[in-house]
Amino acid sequence: MNEPTREVFGNVAPWMQGLFYALILGSLVLSALQVSARYRLWRRGTPGEAERDWRVWLRRLAVFALGQKRVQKRSLGGVMHALLFAGFSMLAVGTTLLFLADKGPVPFHRGAYYLAYELTMDLFGAAFVIGCGLALYRRAAAKPRSLGHSSTDYALLALLLSIGITGFVLEALRLRWDGTRPEVAQWSVVGYALSQGFSALDTASSRGAHLTVWWVHAVLIAAFFATFARTRFLHVETGTLNILLRPSRPPGKLATVPMSVVEETGRSGASKIQHFTRQQLLSLDACMECGRCEDACPALASGKPLSPKAVVLDLRRAMEEIEDCKWQIANGKLEVPLVAEETLWACTLCQACVFECPVLIGHVDLISDMRRHLVGEGRLSGPPAQSLRKLAGQGNPFGQPAAERLAWAEGLEVPTLAENPGCEVLLWVGCAASYDPRARKIARATVQLLQRAGVSFAVLGSQERCTGDPARRLGDEFLFQQLAEENAARLNETPRKIVTPCPHCMNTLRHEYPDFGGRYEVVHHTQLLSELVSQGKLQGASARGGAVTLHDPCYLARVNGETQPVRELIGAVGVELREMPRREEKTFCCGAGGGRVWFEERPDQRVNRLRAAEALGTGAGTLVTACPFCLNMMTDGIAGTAGGEEVRVLDIAELMLERLDVGE
Amino acid sequence: MSTLVLLEHDRGRVRSSSLTAVTCARLLREVSGADYDLLLIGAELGEAADGLARLGARSILLAEHSDLSAPLGGRYSAVLAEAARSRGAETIIAAASTFSKDILPRAAALLDAPMLSDVTHVKAGPGGLRFRRPVYAGNAIATVEVAAEQLVLTCRPTAFDAPELQGGETPVERLRIEPSWLEDGMEFVSREERPAGRPDLTEARVVVSGGRPLRDSDTFIRVLGGLADTLGAALGATRGAVDSGIAPNDWQVGQTGKVVAPELYVACGISGAIQHLAGMKESKVIVAINKDPEAPIFQAATYGLVADLYEAVPTLTEAIRAGRRAGDE
Amino acid sequence: MKILVPIKRVPAPETKIRVRSDGTGIETEGVTFVINPFDEIAVEEALRLREGGSAEEIVAVTIGGEECVEQLRTALAMGADRAVHIPDARLLDPPGVARVLRAVVEREQPRIVLMGKQAIDDDCNQTGQMLAGMLGWPQATFVSKVQLIDGGARAECTRETDAGLEVIRIRLPAVLTTDLRLNEPRYVSLPGIVRARGKPLETITCEELGISVEPRVRTLRLDAPASRPAGVRVTTVEELAARLRDEAKVL
Repeated sequence: MNEPTREVFGNVAPWMQGLFYALILGSLVLSALQVSARYRLWRRGTPGEAERDWRVWLRRLAVFALGQKRVQKRSLGGVMHALLFAGFSMLAVGTTLLFLADKGPVPFHRGAYYLAYELTMDLFGAAFVIGCGLALYRRAAAKPRSLGHSSTDYALLALLLSIGITGFVLEALRLRWDGTRPEVAQWSVVGYALSQGFSALDTASSRGAHLTVWWVHAVLIAAFFATFARTRFLHVETGTLNILLRPSRPPGKLATVPMSVVEETGRSGASKIQHFTRQQLLSLDACMECGRCEDACPALASGKPLSPKAVVLDLRRAMEEIEDCKWQIANGKLEVPLVAEETLWACTLCQACVFECPVLIGHVDLISDMRRHLVGEGRLSGPPAQSLRKLAGQGNPFGQPAAERLAWAEGLEVPTLAENPGCEVLLWVGCAASYDPRARKIARATVQLLQRAGVSFAVLGSQERCTGDPARRLGDEFLFQQLAEENAARLNETPRKIVTPCPHCMNTLRHEYPDFGGRYEVVHHTQLLSELVSQGKLQGASARGGAVTLHDPCYLARVNGETQPVRELIGAVGVELREMPRREEKTFCCGAGGGRVWFEERPDQRVNRLRAAEALGTGAGTLVTACPFCLNMMTDGIAGTAGGEEVRVLDIAELMLERLDVGE
Repeated sequence: MSTLVLLEHDRGRVRSSSLTAVTCARLLREVSGADYDLLLIGAELGEAADGLARLGARSILLAEHSDLSAPLGGRYSAVLAEAARSRGAETIIAAASTFSKDILPRAAALLDAPMLSDVTHVKAGPGGLRFRRPVYAGNAIATVEVAAEQLVLTCRPTAFDAPELQGGETPVERLRIEPSWLEDGMEFVSREERPAGRPDLTEARVVVSGGRPLRDSDTFIRVLGGLADTLGAALGATRGAVDSGIAPNDWQVGQTGKVVAPELYVACGISGAIQHLAGMKESKVIVAINKDPEAPIFQAATYGLVADLYEAVPTLTEAIRAGRRAGDE
Repeated sequence: MKILVPIKRVPAPETKIRVRSDGTGIETEGVTFVINPFDEIAVEEALRLREGGSAEEIVAVTIGGEECVEQLRTALAMGADRAVHIPDARLLDPPGVARVLRAVVEREQPRIVLMGKQAIDDDCNQTGQMLAGMLGWPQATFVSKVQLIDGGARAECTRETDAGLEVIRIRLPAVLTTDLRLNEPRYVSLPGIVRARGKPLETITCEELGISVEPRVRTLRLDAPASRPAGVRVTTVEELAARLRDEAKVL
């Protein structure tokens, strides 16, 4: 028969095939044992949330696993991984197909299929080998800062590379002795080219060499199976598993722990590795130390002792030492915690790490769980503790009287809900815009814009209390839940659409209050204002203004995906927008989040200075933002950075008010 | 009836704020007829006593002993109590300071007398003497009456003027110190020597404070120092200034720094963030100098001047000096 | 070693104090009450001494009505071992409080009495010193640092005085009063509160202590201070200087 095909196991005696399968089976069993040992570690966690909907799984597989959505963002690393991933996957598929063709009922490994198969395998095999080469280069020569290093890295890469190379050598040698016609053989492009180099060998020597290389190849593959679970390669399995199982909570929502559980167990948050959920422990194993999280972390960039990757790896080590846990609480004091308290407090909860991670690890949840424990043990003191005390006592973290919550509105006609019960929308001002002298101007500007647009609105006035966000981010679930229950009950009396200038309030009201019976439509003021502009109720400015740059607030742009409304507003007021490099979903934190705004920061570790430098780099004369905390942080940062003396920092509402021509 | 006034001295020099107790004692004398004696406690009191002759006291009592060189609360209060007993004093007064606050209450306990802190006013009332004193950090003024034979009190120095000097001689006596009074189980080790010049930030009558616009530490001291020296003021700073390295961290006024309540607080180039206001809003008079008319500090200021501090502060310093020269003539 | 920490219930420090127009006191409506911040610092310091191995038992005590028990529970939640409530709803003066505390000291026999230098409601700054005088114990006031030395026989204390920081050494037992910079108290949340529920809280009356006290200082009325006049913008430096001199009289 002249149909293009080849004999599988052509040079391999049946007993050798048997030995081969036994070898592979044995190595797979070893692998399974290793993986199951890891599985037993994950099982030590507490049962908790995990995604179980197969439809979500399919979507995530398509986007993150197959689509490699987050891996691609890097240049060298992205290309390298694409080659490795595509190459390895296709080789795996191809090998499986070959196995089926050989052992299955229908011998389909022939004809046009065979030719296409050969070409595809060779191309992807080449990709794989090139990928390995790039990986070695990156690790040995390029040495990116955040790349993790373990003892097995080079061995693994060498193994993979040699499997790839021996595969091609094998193919080349086979083409020498199995008599394939050149017009068929050339479809195995790499093997065919390589086989020209073996032209000196006669058939017998080719066969001999082929068999030797075949066994080498087989042993290498068996070695790979037997060891990969102990190397970085495990991420293929664990990463995929985590991508499937990661709970589908809105990114801005931290898990709610009922206080009844806290009362029962006497603890809040995680103090031992077993306190994390099983899915969280699995996620620790999914990390392959790529370092994308580290590269994005503002705390690390500002010199603080927090690396999201290190947190994950430290916890992983704790998981491995699960029998000999270093996290015991002795005599009521935390003994040498595996993650230092300073590290945990340094986090701004900006979620840059979470959004960078290709395997969907939830670093922020890990840190928050540990913070809850710290707060429960009285490990929070100083200014942030004072803010929580004030929050508990006065209903706002500034400790200002509740009765003065409307003081910012002096001179403006701002109706309370009682005065305007039929209002379209409730303006939730938030503590910062109510009490902070600088942020009050945001409230005033917003109100004036709403009035000009003829929107019927009202505020809660002295009935408004802090949403509890600072308490939750710092780790005081108890205080947060108290405030949430009170606020939700109050809002439920007269529910309506809520608009707020603060992304943190928006996030908490929208995503976290449903757990407390509060389900509201909540929009950020940029969204409402943008709607009003598109409805013609607010007119754009006619005259051209100067250049502005925009700082996207983390909890608006990244965590809640709202990036366009504020840009539309900037466009509508006729100013030139000069974007910063890190923007929209990739925005760089101002440093206030996670309760950090209440901490004393060392002057040489200021996140806001880093961002200010980036802003000043655009050359714009004004920095615009959309969050009262960002406003304060960036005002401080810009003022403290050389070249920032004449740069103004404004909220988008203030900019709009300045530049609006109504009734044009 | 008599009053015993405890004066505070620093290595032989009587502190001027401590002399306001004499004014308080005189007020008491007007109201109750009680004469007052002055008491000095220490190791070498010779010079200190000299300056007290013209204060119109009935006598000056010196309690001198080598073991009294440092003001340890145990022994000083024992001496004070014994001095009060020997003089038959119904009232003991001292100007409020950490010195007197350490000693007077313990002496009161030894005499089984009640005590009033930080008295700002005395007058006669139907049921006896009525005193006024600040409570709730000065957010309320309490009027109190005391039902006791003896009373100990500290007077708030800023509520009483310096005593006018009167003519005449005042006899000096020495109190015999019993060794048992000195056994208090306490030992003095050391005291930080404050660099000469400016007063303590938390106790200063006037504070001149600066923010980040003062650029660097040399500029900070150069521009604000002149005003501070003219006013005898302590120097304060915002957190922003401290963080920028312009001012040392024990100058920081604010929620996470020192909380001060001076008579006069001059805020130069300070925007007035909530955290800073928390540290100085109880000041009696607040002056704000800032070139941004919208700065929040103006809402808290008694007097607000929108101006460039680099011009305004030196001009103000000169204006104050000129005013004093005119006043002296 | 046992440490006794007297605490007082006071309005929260950030409370806007409003004086009732009839002179009878302050408005308590909507006011949150807490442990006197200086006393809280004392509790924290006692906890640190225990964590450092120098103390075994920390007892918190307060004198006042039933509402004060809330503050004792907070002290227990922070980590104190026991609490003692002496129910007396009258407003005692510092000597009266000191006398009650002396009786408690005689009963409890602590080695250190650690308390706040002053209560932020009456601002007296007397009780600790009076107690020390009544007991005949050494005292260290306005302490910003404490260290036990000589095997626990003495304490070396740094004090904050007008002249600067002063260091003294005192024999124990002694009375220490705390200043602001001694430490930053820990924040207490639910788990601490839950743990505190199991800790002993006993009530002892003055009768049981064998004492009776009568206040000798009587507050007749409470008035608001002269209100701060609204701020004025001045236009020149000369005007400012003149006003400071003639109007405000602060020069």
